Amino acid sequence: MPVLTLQRSYKYIMYATKQPSLRINQDDLKCTNGCGYFGNADWGGYCSKCYRNHMEQERQKRTRSTSSSSAHHHHHHSSKSQVTSFGKFEEKKRQQTDKKNKYLPVFRKTSSAKGECPKEDYINHLNVILLDSERSERQFDVRHANPDTDKLNVEFIAQFGKYGEAVRHDFFKCAQYFTTKIVHEMNLKLIDELAEMAQKCYVSYMTRINGNPHYQQVPEGVREDLLDFFEKYCMISLYTFLFCPNTTNDEEKDLTIQDRIRKLSWVNAHHLDCCISETSLEVRDLVYTAINDLLGMDSMKAPQEKLACVVKCCRSVVEVLQHCQGGPVSADEFLPALIFVVLKANPARLKSNILYVTRFCNDTRLMQGEAGYYFTNLCCAVSFIENLTAESLSMPEQEFQAYMSGEMTSVSAWESALVACEGMHQLCEHLALLKGLSERTALVQEESNALRENMKKLKEDINSQVNEILDRTPLVIKQRTMPVFLLRPQPKPKIDPNESQPKNFYLKNLQFDVSHTQKSKLQLDITPCTQDVQSDNLKISKDFLSPSKDNLSLAATPEENSYLGLSKINYDIDFSDISADNSVAEELTPEKRSNFTPDPFSPLEGSSCHITQSPLVPTTAHQIPKKDDFVLPFKQEGTKQNEETLLDKEESTSAAALPSPLKPTTSQYTGFSTQGWQIPSIPCDTGESASKNKQ
Amino acid sequence: MARDYDHLFKLLIIGDSGVGKSSLLLRFSDNTFTGNYITTIGVDFKIKTVSIDGQKIKLQIWDTAGQERFRTITSTYYRGTHGVIVVYDVTNGESFANVKRWLHEIEQNCDVVNRVLVGNKNDSPEIKVVLTEDAQRFADTMNIQLFETSAKDNLNVEEMFMAVTKLVVRSKLEMKERQSVTQNDTVNLRKTNKSGKKRCC
Repeated sequence: MPVLTLQRSYKYIMYATKQPSLRINQDDLKCTNGCGYFGNADWGGYCSKCYRNHMEQERQKRTRSTSSSSAHHHHHHSSKSQVTSFGKFEEKKRQQTDKKNKYLPVFRKTSSAKGECPKEDYINHLNVILLDSERSERQFDVRHANPDTDKLNVEFIAQFGKYGEAVRHDFFKCAQYFTTKIVHEMNLKLIDELAEMAQKCYVSYMTRINGNPHYQQVPEGVREDLLDFFEKYCMISLYTFLFCPNTTNDEEKDLTIQDRIRKLSWVNAHHLDCCISETSLEVRDLVYTAINDLLGMDSMKAPQEKLACVVKCCRSVVEVLQHCQGGPVSADEFLPALIFVVLKANPARLKSNILYVTRFCNDTRLMQGEAGYYFTNLCCAVSFIENLTAESLSMPEQEFQAYMSGEMTSVSAWESALVACEGMHQLCEHLALLKGLSERTALVQEESNALRENMKKLKEDINSQVNEILDRTPLVIKQRTMPVFLLRPQPKPKIDPNESQPKNFYLKNLQFDVSHTQKSKLQLDITPCTQDVQSDNLKISKDFLSPSKDNLSLAATPEENSYLGLSKINYDIDFSDISADNSVAEELTPEKRSNFTPDPFSPLEGSSCHITQSPLVPTTAHQIPKKDDFVLPFKQEGTKQNEETLLDKEESTSAAALPSPLKPTTSQYTGFSTQGWQIPSIPCDTGESASKNKQ
Repeated sequence: MARDYDHLFKLLIIGDSGVGKSSLLLRFSDNTFTGNYITTIGVDFKIKTVSIDGQKIKLQIWDTAGQERFRTITSTYYRGTHGVIVVYDVTNGESFANVKRWLHEIEQNCDVVNRVLVGNKNDSPEIKVVLTEDAQRFADTMNIQLFETSAKDNLNVEEMFMAVTKLVVRSKLEMKERQSVTQNDTVNLRKTNKSGKKRCC
């Protein structure tokens, strides 16, 4: 069994931080009051007795000046003032006895909600514990209120659960005993005594683990882990009490070192003879990693966790150095680098953290192992910063003072050159980057142009192909024009009236037919048709019966007429079964005519026009039976009439010209002109019948 | 106790900066030399297990910064140290002159510590300035063992470390004996700690 001659160590650190010189005269250690006893730097150089008197005086002075203010305010004030160990301790005790009853409900309430602010909660906790202990020495119940407890329990079971219930039971029993003891003692003892207690506790727990039958199942290697966890568990539970306690001046030390580091912000790696090249990007990243690790220390609660942060930070520092000098790192280089990192990080509550770890971390860990080594280095770094002089930076005292007072800025010629160099370097980098970017942009532009060209080409190709196909296809259209020309004159004029007033037309016809069935049809037919303007054309046509077709077709050729005709024809298609053309027909309403290109739709040349017209043939054919059905009775009558009106040939022809505008079908005219007896059947007559008649 | 070692000792290497402390350490722990070897992390914290008289001894060796400016703060390193290796550079007279100061510092920080004096870089006689006779005379007057080593050529390094370890083991056993005499053959960890504390500072 190794017997380690380990010593309580935190005193060394405190020693080192306070004494920059190797030897201190005995007189320097004496009480500043001159009473002959030894003084303490923590107590402003007084011995304990003189310090107590001094504090009493201070306190009286202060209470006189702030007697009006509330006790709570006073409390806060005192915590921030120069009061240290004894004074604070006494003051608090006094206040507790004074205000306990008064603040009892408040403290009870707030105790349940444990926040992150140790300073504020500390007082509350303390009161809770005092009250608890006064009541019935109840078991320490802070453990239950601690939010970390559940997590720790889970962790314990995960790590050591397999060693049985007995181990768990004993572990928590010991932990609770220890925490309760510390909490009860903490107002009666100084922090160093508490630290001693904690160390003893660790040792006794270790002996318990090694001796107690409960722990027989636990293997040797795990026992140390168990001890570590014991320490972790207790310290997390007691963190709010033991970290930066009110009874010490840790907080002031924190502020002092923070201020000191802030004043030393001008110190750079060069000053420390440290080979960290601040200009290298990679190195800078690593330095930031180290700084982050160091800053993370404050957020940890257990001493071992804090140590882990320090180790991480130091490893990063070693990495930085390896990167900078490309070889093994010795302490000669490591310590300055660590000092540099600490200066740049300026960690929060640095001193509190260090003191907390030195006091309550298991000494064995602190004095050996990697964690111990790096933590020692950190302590050295901090102590170096505290005692930093012009000499330790190897610069003239005047320069140092100028820097410290802010008269001189940190930009030396060397540094400015360095910065300029870095600027130039960055500029070059950026230029290179920009160049690359512009090249890429040009490439993109080029490619986009090519793409545009391609698109244009494709479009042209497609256009030409489409045109080609279109050129190839008109065949169909031309074929159809032929019959249309033959048949068109017949259906077209007939359709027009249908379109314009199809119903009326029929109605009129009906009316006429119904009302004047017994009268001569010629007259009846003439009367409704007289209003039409187109009659002129038709009049002409009546003169030349056979050529009248041509005339009509010619008359239709004028654009207006053709359009009218078209639209009407198309409209007519509605009656027919060809639905596909409907949409086209609707679009060809007179309003839209102007937009039309005349060529394709002109009845003479336009192919498409012919297409639209082509259905006329069937439509008329279709319409024939319909109309036949419709007009059948008339037809029968008409046949009779025909016989009757044979005599009235002259009149019928002349009269035929008049009704034609309403129903300007050439067929009708022909019908009229060639065979006057057919007149009564005008509305229903088709070209075919007319031609038959002709024949 | 079933550990992988019987004793755990902490050794400290001190000396001016640039005398080759780290090189000695590297040579001993990794059997490598600084010049052409890039080690992994934790270069300045080395652990090596050696065997003396059938006992496994774990040595952890702490490297320290030797610069003058850190002289006042390095006292922190001495906590719980069992042995100190004071190194000087045989090619650098000043480093030898400073040995006195280093020894003085050891005395100040801890009085029961086993020490050895090491003159490193003893590989090129033509530039050697600290003569072995002078060094030996000084070591005798200070009652300290002297070794001249070369980390570069791996001369005497192992021997030196083994010698320190032996010293440390011996002093520990002596202390144990003393305690067992006074305490009726019972070994108390806590008592040991206390006795150590009394003697220091």
